[in-house]
Amino acid sequence: MRELLRRIHYLLNRRRMDEELAEEMEFHREMAAKNEGKPLGDSLRLREDSREAWGWTWIDRLLQDLRFAFRGMRTSPGFTVSAVLVLAIGIGATVAAFASFNMTVLRPLPLTDPHRLLRFQRQGPGQFWSDVPYPAVSFYRDHTRTLSAVLALTTASLRYEDEENAPRTYFVTGNFFAQLGAAAAAGRLFTEADEAPVTAPMVVLGHGFWASRFGASPGVVGARVRLNGKTATVVGVAAREFSGLGSDTPAFWALITQHPHFVHGSEILSDFSGQKNSGVSMWGRLAEGATPLAAEAELASLAATLRQQRPDDVWEGERLPSSPGGYPQSVGSVSRGSGPPPGVEERLYPMFVLVGSLVLLILAVSCGNLGSLLLARGAARQREIGLRVAIGASTARLIRQLFTESVLALMGALSGLLVGFAVVKAMLVLTEAPPWFDPTPDWRVVTFATLMGFFSAMFFGLMPAVHIARQRTRMTFTRRFLIGAQVASSCVLLIVAGLLVRAFDRVASSDPGFEYEQTIVVDPSLVEHGYDASRGRAYLDDLESRLRGIAGVASVTRTSTPPLGGARITASLEIEGRRHDIYVHQVDAGYLGTMKIPLLRGRNLAPGDESGVVVSESLARKRWPHQDPLGQLFLIGDPKALTVVGIAANARSLALQDPDAMKVYRLAREGDLPGMSVVLRTSGAPKTLLAAVGAAAKGIDPTVTPQIHLLKDRFEQRIREVEQGAFAVGALGIIALIVASLGIVGLVSYAVAQRTKEIGIRMAIGAEPRHILKSLASQFQSTVAFGLLAGVAGAAGLAQLLRRELYGLSTFDPLSYIAAVSLFVFVTGLAALIPARRALRVDPLVALRCD
Amino acid sequence: MPNLTMPKNEMPPGALVLLILRVLRSGPLHGYAIAQRIHALSADALRVEEGSLYPALQKILLKGWVTASWGVSETNRKVRFYKLTRDGMKQLEAELSDYDRQTKAIQAVLRTA
Repeated sequence: MRELLRRIHYLLNRRRMDEELAEEMEFHREMAAKNEGKPLGDSLRLREDSREAWGWTWIDRLLQDLRFAFRGMRTSPGFTVSAVLVLAIGIGATVAAFASFNMTVLRPLPLTDPHRLLRFQRQGPGQFWSDVPYPAVSFYRDHTRTLSAVLALTTASLRYEDEENAPRTYFVTGNFFAQLGAAAAAGRLFTEADEAPVTAPMVVLGHGFWASRFGASPGVVGARVRLNGKTATVVGVAAREFSGLGSDTPAFWALITQHPHFVHGSEILSDFSGQKNSGVSMWGRLAEGATPLAAEAELASLAATLRQQRPDDVWEGERLPSSPGGYPQSVGSVSRGSGPPPGVEERLYPMFVLVGSLVLLILAVSCGNLGSLLLARGAARQREIGLRVAIGASTARLIRQLFTESVLALMGALSGLLVGFAVVKAMLVLTEAPPWFDPTPDWRVVTFATLMGFFSAMFFGLMPAVHIARQRTRMTFTRRFLIGAQVASSCVLLIVAGLLVRAFDRVASSDPGFEYEQTIVVDPSLVEHGYDASRGRAYLDDLESRLRGIAGVASVTRTSTPPLGGARITASLEIEGRRHDIYVHQVDAGYLGTMKIPLLRGRNLAPGDESGVVVSESLARKRWPHQDPLGQLFLIGDPKALTVVGIAANARSLALQDPDAMKVYRLAREGDLPGMSVVLRTSGAPKTLLAAVGAAAKGIDPTVTPQIHLLKDRFEQRIREVEQGAFAVGALGIIALIVASLGIVGLVSYAVAQRTKEIGIRMAIGAEPRHILKSLASQFQSTVAFGLLAGVAGAAGLAQLLRRELYGLSTFDPLSYIAAVSLFVFVTGLAALIPARRALRVDPLVALRCD
Repeated sequence: MPNLTMPKNEMPPGALVLLILRVLRSGPLHGYAIAQRIHALSADALRVEEGSLYPALQKILLKGWVTASWGVSETNRKVRFYKLTRDGMKQLEAELSDYDRQTKAIQAVLRTA
């Protein structure tokens, strides 16, 4: 340690130290000359040797090499600019991908001390709920020691004044804003004192709603608004920067304790069972010195205590596993199921791998490209290198010097950072992301860009440097490798792009397996309006009979999970040791008929048949490959096993992209009723019936405003999303193709330049143009072929990951592969012809005289 | 580039450090005097070239085994004197005992083999 300090001291006082050393050695020489008459040696060299002991000579050499590198760049600005551009594209793509990942996953929300926030969900043996009953939350809040605060949130769509569309309202605990460090843009925010029962109804406006509806006027504080027909006073506006705990912010913030005021019949404050879907999302802030594990242990024991009081409502062995809470997540969506909760990571993982692989491929193409360019340039510098070797430069020193010239990579990383920032910024603007998403690169992104620059320098700089320094510039393995890597990477990108385009084509043109063109979905969100099972049944029955009365309605049914909607109920099923997610459709007996999903075998569900279940063909095939599925017992979610009574054709109603989605259809139970939507099929164009449906739905309960939409619109929305994905990957593929073509042009023109003399001789002794072209092509043939093979293999591997996103396309879809490879060969071949034609115009006389 | 063949009368760098530390034990000396002293004490057998002396001195300085201070030579010139530190003393003792052990071991092999 002290030695290091001394070293640094030497570095800082280098000039003085050097002078002292010189003086001292001068004295030595004088004495030696006087006493021994020795001839003087090279004092500079000797001093350098001594200085080496300080360990800083590398800095001198580095500076030397850098100066040389920059001089080289200035003399060939064309090369420098194109190299930095190519790198900026390559590194920029990876930086943009990483920055998005960082922004949405790694970076916490802009809250007070977000690392100490935990989200808690319920987990018992064999089941999980993402929400916790509010009375249980209160119990935990009153008894916990490991959490300094407990926060809760639940969401609803409440009708604002008399408007058609109901904006979102988030009900939160009184400590919510203070705990998260929120500031008010106007007025004040809630405090814990507001939870007192005597408080008058109040709301806080979300910033976006305030800006769009009230023109950001501070005069709104104190105004009265009507939500679901109930008045409330606006006490303040949340600041624009306040993110809340979700990935979006609502129009209104209200107090959970006032939930019953706004939502007629709400039992959220007292319902311990959570059976009426009345749970809340729960967060806790860790107390000083407490760990998440300690909090989990404490909550598990508190749950056990609570179970003694409420044995029916708390599960045996109930735990509340924690997950980091200070990160963007979807709030308000309740998911319940059997088995452990599905991890967000699990679902996002293939996406990250896919995007990551694609951007790395772009980087690989850029690096391969630049590597070949450097190599070609190195060949042109053969004389310079030869001279350096002749005057005594060692190979290691030369490699170091040439590698330093890859300082280009640093400039590339810097411009890549800018490109990445611009891309992310543009994406945020295009997707209308919340204002608190901050695209400014933080230390993680900067480190990442630097690392990418370094790695690409290793990849494109080091190998050519070694080869140039060793003065091997023929068609070496390195060159083949660089070309092959380029070819392979561009090929993978093109094939994947092709697969996605084909997948899009297919999803747009193929039958999803259910009726979507003449279907209207009516979602009354009864849960959010405090409906229990019997009121829910009355409402749904009334709604259905009113809808049936409309001329042009062919069929009406109800389901908990309307097609292409956000809601899905999954159960996990183990088949041959692998866990599979199964979509559970809670429907009525008419669902399959209304949705025109054909029944392949057996019979349909009959009204009142609570022990029967219809499974999809995909599930039947997977679960009972060698048996007759009909009559099999099947345990799913319910305590009692269900009997398979029928097999339905596959329908991609929940996962449009997954043709193998496994599904079960069972009759909805009494408790499911408040969560159900009504779906109706029309005999004519559905659009003309929208108004009638809306009028019928609104008449039942004036506080409930159902969301009504055409299934066709949703279908087209989904298709647009697929189209955008295919377009993005296609753009990446085209960029790769262009970069690779540029590389091939460079390579071929270099090969032609190198072989001018040879070509001249051949032409002189009568070779025909096609012979010349053939011999030129043969130089690259095998390499390109290998690259193509590797690319096809790589694409096949990557496509496995895409399997579920591929909308029913075989991952070995031959058309995509053949089209991509032929496009690549065609474009690069065309690109190669440009410089090759120059070879044919070689004048033998000139060529023979050239050096 | 490391010089692989050792010139005559030169010695391995490790040994040079040991010798420098040893001649400094009797008091501070300047660079030229260190070389002279080693040369004389070895009965003219060992010659310390400035090309190896000064790098070795710089290394020892960095290690903190000696300190350097400017003084005036016998010929009335400004020159740097090297003085053994406590760390240097410890290092010298450790290296001496190491050296003893090694030579004894080598001699034992030479005698009996």
